[in-house]
Amino acid sequence: MSDFISDGCQDFGRALCVITGASKGFGRELAVQIAGLLKPKSVMLLVARSGKQLAELKDDLVASDGDKSQLVVHCIQADLGKKEGVEKTIRVAKETSAMDIDHLLLINNAASLGDVSRFAMSFTDREEVDAYLSLNVSSVLSLTAGVLQAFPWRHGLRRTVVNVSSLCALKPFPSWVLYCTGKAARDMMFRVLAEEEPDLRVLSYAPGPLDTDMQTQARCYSGDVKIRQSFSSMFAEGRLLTCQESGAKLMRLLLDDDFPSGAHVDFYEL
Amino acid sequence: MAVSKATDLGKALCIITGASKGFGRSLAKEISGLLQPESVLVLVARSGNKLSELQTELDSLVAGKHLVIRCVIADLGLREGVEQVMKSVRELTAVDIDHLLLFNNAASLGDVSRYAQSFENMEEVDSYLSFNVSSALCLTAGVLNAFPRRQGLRRFVVNISSLCAVKPFPSWVLYCTGKAARDMMFRVLAEEDPDLRVLSYAPGPLDTDMQLQARSSSADSNLRQIFTVLHSEGQLLTCEQSISKLLKVLLEDEFSSGAHIDYYDL
Ligand SMILES: NC(=O)c1ccc[n+]([C@@H]2O[C@H](COP(=O)([O-])OP(=O)(O)OC[C@H]3O[C@@H](n4cnc5c(N)ncnc54)[C@H](OP(=O)(O)O)[C@@H]3O)[C@@H](O)[C@H]2O)c1
Repeated sequence: MSDFISDGCQDFGRALCVITGASKGFGRELAVQIAGLLKPKSVMLLVARSGKQLAELKDDLVASDGDKSQLVVHCIQADLGKKEGVEKTIRVAKETSAMDIDHLLLINNAASLGDVSRFAMSFTDREEVDAYLSLNVSSVLSLTAGVLQAFPWRHGLRRTVVNVSSLCALKPFPSWVLYCTGKAARDMMFRVLAEEEPDLRVLSYAPGPLDTDMQTQARCYSGDVKIRQSFSSMFAEGRLLTCQESGAKLMRLLLDDDFPSGAHVDFYEL
Repeated sequence: MAVSKATDLGKALCIITGASKGFGRSLAKEISGLLQPESVLVLVARSGNKLSELQTELDSLVAGKHLVIRCVIADLGLREGVEQVMKSVRELTAVDIDHLLLFNNAASLGDVSRYAQSFENMEEVDSYLSFNVSSALCLTAGVLNAFPRRQGLRRFVVNISSLCAVKPFPSWVLYCTGKAARDMMFRVLAEEDPDLRVLSYAPGPLDTDMQLQARSSSADSNLRQIFTVLHSEGQLLTCEQSISKLLKVLLEDEFSSGAHIDYYDL
């Protein structure tokens, strides 16, 4: 770890960067910000179900890069709720010739809120719970494992794994049982990974309340009235964060690179 | 909270998953002494033989007390498993009880011989979480639906947790992830329903088959050694030791709902 402690980098080096859930919201914004911080000939793999939105993002990234850094962008249209989707993503990562990269950056951003209109007592349908955990927990472990295997430890390769987490990983929210359970599970999973692999840099980042589609769902549908109200007033009073400001803090954290591996860091702590 | 220190758990419906051996089996025996006549004990596990043996033992242990004992042979790792338990539970809704006690005890350690980096097979992770997380949520939801809030009914939901819910253990990624997930799930449940009494109890290192697996197969050599030493120096807890503390907590009934309480906290 000490190899990497704060030389206060200004960029991510020549990197292979994988971002899940890149088609919209926070993932899309991260793709844009990261692209601006990559050294020439870096590679980005953008993963989501919506191929069209990924293709648009790719065009944007390539256009704003001009030709100055020969950024390579691959879109991977895949459903991470399915085994095949995870396998496809791992396969593309393996096939990506990235011999000369000095940084592997994996951003586990894709997630779903689950049905927040109901309380825990109503979750009697096993398939529903299984499917939720499959996308939000299992796929994250399997993808992380597959990508790390594809790019094993070697001298001069820095490997960073980011878990986009939430306050819900630490604090129970009524009517959000699936979401809280999934985020708590992911935080712990990445803490174990950090314990096991001291050469990795593992970060769980809670981005704060972001003005995205997920927020719309939260304030419209939450079964718990108080939660619905508190999100509605945040929205009405303009207190939701933009993806841009939260993303910028994450970039700063990653560039400074002095968080303890495995830590849960919240936007508001910074 | 009415603090009249109870000396028993009333006339109860008590459901214990993973009752065929280890902690669950001992729990069934210890708790049977605290149930009033006409209480019902539902015992769930895959091993039918072991459950019937336990039933015979219980019958002689509580002879004359009129405990109703139901064994449900079910694999909670399968989707049908929870449904099988619910079928039995629904047949009991007419029973007149003043306590409902659900112990989510069944669990598996997962493959601890490998590190997180090796879990690229999503099916393996899915099936681990399905048993250790989903089945606990679905069973709890089902049971609470079958016994909704009513006056005079005290409802307890116990999650058998672990230190691993709060502390990462190298080479135990599935177990730690599952236990952290369960703790949070039950904290949400406690927030949502103030009428419920929800407890996550970490029982300490117990001398059971799960411990045997821990000390013989953990990939992390430090962990393996710690568990081996605990075993050889006789520092593992007996299930009875740990259960007596759990039952005391339940009888006193003063814990804050949703709390994670460790054997060593008490
Ligand atoms: N042992 C420890 O040191 C320790 C420490 C902390 C926490 N815990 C927790 O304490 C609880 C009990 O553990 P233990 O040590 O008693 O474990 P154990 O001896 O391995 O017993 C596990 C029980 O779960 C049942 N079970 C396993 N898979 C099942 C399935 N698919 N469907 C239904 N039942 C199933 C088993 O019965 P069948 O095989 O007959 O199905 C058995 O009755 C667990 O939640 C464990 O995580 C244990």
